[in-house]
Amino acid sequence: MNAAASPAGLAATWDLRQGERELLLSCLGCIALGFVLVLGSEHAAGRQLTASAVLPLLIYGLSLIGLHLALVLLQFRGDQVLTAVVACLAGFGLLAQYRMGAFAGTLGAGDPELYLIPAGFAALLITAAAGANGRYRWLAKGLWLWAGVSLVLLVVLLVTGTRFRGAVYALGFTTPTEVLKVTVILGLAAYLERHARALARWHPRFPLLPPLRALWPLLVFWVLLVGLLALQRDLGMIVILSVTLLVVLVRATGRVGYFGYGLLAAVGSGALLLTFFAHGQRRVEAWLDPFQDPTGDGWQILQGLSGMYAGGLWGEGFGNGSPEYTPIARSDFIYAVIGEELGFLGCVLVALFFLILVQRGIMIAGQARTDFGRLLAAGLTTVLAVQTLLNLGGVTKAIPLTGITLPFISHGGASLLTTFTAVGLLLAISDGPPGAGRRPARTVKRAPAADATPSAPVPAPRPVDRPARPRRRPAAAKTP
Amino acid sequence: MTVSTPLQLFGALVDSAAWPALRIILHLAFFAAAVIILWRIWTRLAGAKSRPGQTLQLFGALPMAGVAAAFLGVLLYQASWHLTGLFRPAFVAFMQSHDRREFNPAHRIQRGRILDRHGQVLAESQERDGRVYRVYPFGRAFAHTVGYSDPRFGAIGAEAAANAQLNGATPEILASWGELGRQLLTKDKRPRGQDLELTLDAELQLLALQQLGSRHGAVVLLRPADGALLVLANNPAFDPNRLSPGLFSGPAAGTPLLNRATQGLYPPGSVFKVVLAAAAIESGFNGTLHCPAGGYTTSSRYPPIRDHDYYTAAKAGRTWAGHGNLNLTTALVESSNVFFAQLGVRLGHDSFAGAGERFQFDRQVRLYPGTDRYGNLSTGRLPRFARNDLYGLAQASIGQGRVLATPGHLATIAAAVANRGLAMRPRLLAQEPPAPLGQYMTEETAARLAQILRKVVTTGTGRGIDGPQLAIAGKTGTAQNPRGAAHSWFIGFAPAAAPTLAVAVLVEHGGYGSSAAAPIARDLLLKAMELENAR
Repeated sequence: MNAAASPAGLAATWDLRQGERELLLSCLGCIALGFVLVLGSEHAAGRQLTASAVLPLLIYGLSLIGLHLALVLLQFRGDQVLTAVVACLAGFGLLAQYRMGAFAGTLGAGDPELYLIPAGFAALLITAAAGANGRYRWLAKGLWLWAGVSLVLLVVLLVTGTRFRGAVYALGFTTPTEVLKVTVILGLAAYLERHARALARWHPRFPLLPPLRALWPLLVFWVLLVGLLALQRDLGMIVILSVTLLVVLVRATGRVGYFGYGLLAAVGSGALLLTFFAHGQRRVEAWLDPFQDPTGDGWQILQGLSGMYAGGLWGEGFGNGSPEYTPIARSDFIYAVIGEELGFLGCVLVALFFLILVQRGIMIAGQARTDFGRLLAAGLTTVLAVQTLLNLGGVTKAIPLTGITLPFISHGGASLLTTFTAVGLLLAISDGPPGAGRRPARTVKRAPAADATPSAPVPAPRPVDRPARPRRRPAAAKTP
Repeated sequence: MTVSTPLQLFGALVDSAAWPALRIILHLAFFAAAVIILWRIWTRLAGAKSRPGQTLQLFGALPMAGVAAAFLGVLLYQASWHLTGLFRPAFVAFMQSHDRREFNPAHRIQRGRILDRHGQVLAESQERDGRVYRVYPFGRAFAHTVGYSDPRFGAIGAEAAANAQLNGATPEILASWGELGRQLLTKDKRPRGQDLELTLDAELQLLALQQLGSRHGAVVLLRPADGALLVLANNPAFDPNRLSPGLFSGPAAGTPLLNRATQGLYPPGSVFKVVLAAAAIESGFNGTLHCPAGGYTTSSRYPPIRDHDYYTAAKAGRTWAGHGNLNLTTALVESSNVFFAQLGVRLGHDSFAGAGERFQFDRQVRLYPGTDRYGNLSTGRLPRFARNDLYGLAQASIGQGRVLATPGHLATIAAAVANRGLAMRPRLLAQEPPAPLGQYMTEETAARLAQILRKVVTTGTGRGIDGPQLAIAGKTGTAQNPRGAAHSWFIGFAPAAAPTLAVAVLVEHGGYGSSAAAPIARDLLLKAMELENAR
C-alpha cells in the first residue's frame, strides 16, 4: 500500500479520521467504565483481583489505538463510523464475556482467550487494507473458488466432524461453517455480477417465469449447499444464506419476483423440515408454548427471559446478575445476559448499534462504484442483519431458536473472526475506487484542518459519513 | 489492609460502604457514555445525509426501514416479557418456582396461603432476613397434596396447580394483575397473592396418618355427593420444609415422593369384587354357583383358585367342606374367591372389559386444574386378556393377577355405590364446582350393592368393625403380592342408609383387610361423623 506516504498525506488522513478517533476514544472510555463495574462486582463477590485482571481492557484499548493508527498510516479513506460501531459492539462483547468468566482463573499473558478481539481487529485491518483502493474487485475472479471452497468445507466437516447437541463441530468444537458467511456471499456476488442482466430477463410472454438458463448453476449450487447444511442441522445458516441470496438477487436484477419464489421455497422447505426433523419440530413447540415443558425444552428460553425480567428497565448492573442460570449464556444467549445486567435500556442500546452497523452497510452498498462491490456489500450487510435478528428474535422468543451467535458479542472464535472479516470487506468497499482522491492528496503540502477552504484539494472525502462541511463539493464522479 | 497499589486501592473502595452508590453511578455513566457515542454518530450521519446528492436512494431507504421495523418488532415483543412479564401468569409462576435469581421481582410477590376446609394453614410464606420462605406447618402430613414450591426444585401438588392464583390472581382477572404490578413497581407494600382453600380436613388427615403409624399405606376419605376429598394421606412422605437433592436422586427407600393414594398401583384383591358384582347384577345374573373346597380352575395345568377359609382350615390342620352353592350376596359377604373367579369367566371377556370401561380404569383423572401429570389421579390398570386366557380372567375377577388400582380410585368406586351409582370427580380445591366423573352403575344396582356391602360389615368379613355408633358398609380386601405379606384393603361408606362419607384404606403388607385396614376406616369414619355432627 502507500505506506511510504508523504508526511503531508499522513497529516491529511490524520485530520480526515479525526471523527473516528473521537468515536473510538469515547468507546474506549465507555468500555472502561463497564470494565471497572465488572471488576468491582468480581471483587465484591470475593474473587481475588490480580494485576492481570486489567489485561483484557489493556489489550482491547491497544487494539483500538493500533487499528486507528494503522488506518491512518495506510491513508485509508473508508468508513469511519463502521469501525467505531464494531469497536463498541466488540467492547460490549468483551465485557459480557469477561463477566461470564471468560478470563477467570489464572490469567496469563499467553491465554488465547485474550487475543480473540485483537485477532478480530487484525483480520478486519488486513482485509480492509488488502481490499482497499478497489483491490477487493479481484475477489470477483475467484467465483468458482468460493463456491468450491464452501462446498468442500461442508463435505469435509460432515465426514470428519463430531456431532454434539444435534449440530456438527470440527476439532476443538470450532465451527468452520461460519466462514460460509463470507465465502458464499463472495461467490454469490461474483456470479450475479456476471449474470445479473440475464437473470433480470424474465420470460417475455410468461412474466412469472424466471430465466432458468441463467439461474440453474446458482440453483444447483444452492440445493447442494442447503442440503449439506441440512445434514448438519444448521438451520440458522440456511436461513441466513437463503435470505441473503434473495436480497442480493433482487438487488442485482431489480426483479421482486425472486422474493415470491423465495417465499414459496421457504414455505415448502419449512414444511418439509418440520415433518422430517423431530429436532426442528421440538424447537417450534418449545417456541410456541415453552410452558408445556418448562423444565425441559422450554428451560433455556424461559431462564433467559426470567433473567431479562429480573433485570428490568435498568438492569442489575454488570457483574451483579446471575446469568449463569441460563444454559449456554455465553454464546447463543449472550443477549439475555445483557438484558439481565443492563436491562431493557442496554438491549435498546445494543440494538441501536447493530442498526447503525446495518445502516452503514446499506450506505456502502449504495455508494459502491462497481456492481460486485454493491452486491458484496449488500450481501455481507444482509448476513449481519439476518444473523443479528435471528439471534435477538430467538432469545426473546419472537421466533423459534435457531442456535446462532450474536455477531461480535457471542463467544466463539470462528464466528468472531468471520464477522470481523466481513466488516473488513465492507470497509474495503467503502474505501472507493483506485487512486481517486489519494494522489492529489499527496501532492498537497498539507491539507488544512477541518475548516479547509473549498479550493483546497482535500484528500477526497469519499467517506459518506463525514459531516457536512462548507468546503465539501460534490466533485467528479466520486459522489453518487 | 495496606493500600499500596492502585488495584488494592480499588479493592478497598469496593469493600467500603460507598461502593453500592458508586456502582450505580458507574452503571449510569456507562449508559451515558454509550448514549453519547450514539449521539455523536447520529449527528455525524445526519450531517452527512443533508449533503446534496446524498439522499438515501430507494435501494437504501427501503431495506433500512425494513430492518429497523424488524428490530423494533423484536424489541417491542421483548418488552412484553422483559418489562411487562408480570402480565403473563405462567411466566411469573415459572420464575417463582424455577428462577434462582434472588433479585427477581417475581420473588417479592408474597404467595398466598394454602388452607384446609376450616381455615387451618397448610402452607404460608414467611419472611426472614429479607428473604421469603415457604413454610409448611404440618410438614410431611400434606406433602403430596399441598406439594411444595421451591426455587430449586420447582413446584408440585396444589402449589403447582394453583400457582397463578397463589401468586396474585387468576389469569382471567387482568385488573388484579395490574394492582399487583403497581404494588411491585411502587413498592408501597409487599404484593400478596390470593389464598387457596382446599377441601381437606387437617384434623382427619392427621388422624389417618396417626392410625397408619409407621406402616406404609394410604388413606382416602371423600364426600360421595360432591367428590370433595377430606383426607388424602400417604405414608411414608417427605418433609416439604426440608427438600434436598438426595430426595430426588434415584429410588429412595420407601419411595417417599410417591403419592400412594393417587399414583400407587396395587393389586386390589377382594375389594375388586365390588366391580364384578356390579357387572353381574347389571348382566341379570341371579343364580347360584357351586363353590367346592377344592377350588376352581380353568385348566388342570393351573393351580386352582381357592377360598381363604380353605387356607385357614389347612393351617389349623382341619378340613373345610367348602361353601357349596352360593348366591351373589352371600358370595360377596363371605368374599368367596371361587365364586367370583367362576363368575368372571361366566360373564366373559367382553363383559369384564366393559366393566373396566364403565368404572374408568386405565384413565388419568385430574384432581387440580392444570396439566401437571403428577397431580393426576391415575385410576388403575385393567389388562386386555387374550380370548383363550380364561385363567387370567379368573384371577383378575378376584382382583389379583394383572389388575391394579390406586386407593384413590377405589375410594371413588365406594363413593359411586354410595351416591346412587354416580361417581363424582374427586377434587381438592374448594372453589372448584362439583363435577360428575361417570355413572359407574345404575341406581338399582347401586342400591342392591349398598345393601350387600352393609351386610359384609354386619355379618361378613368386615364384622369386626361393626358397632352401634355408626352403620358402616364396605368391603375388605386381602391382596396377595410378590413382595411379601398381603396388602390390607378396606373400602366403604357411612352411614349406610344415607351415606355422606366414602373411604378407602390401604395398608401395605398389612395382612387381612379386616385386621389392618378396616379398623382405620372405622376410626376415621367415626371421627368424621362426630366432627360433622358437631359443626
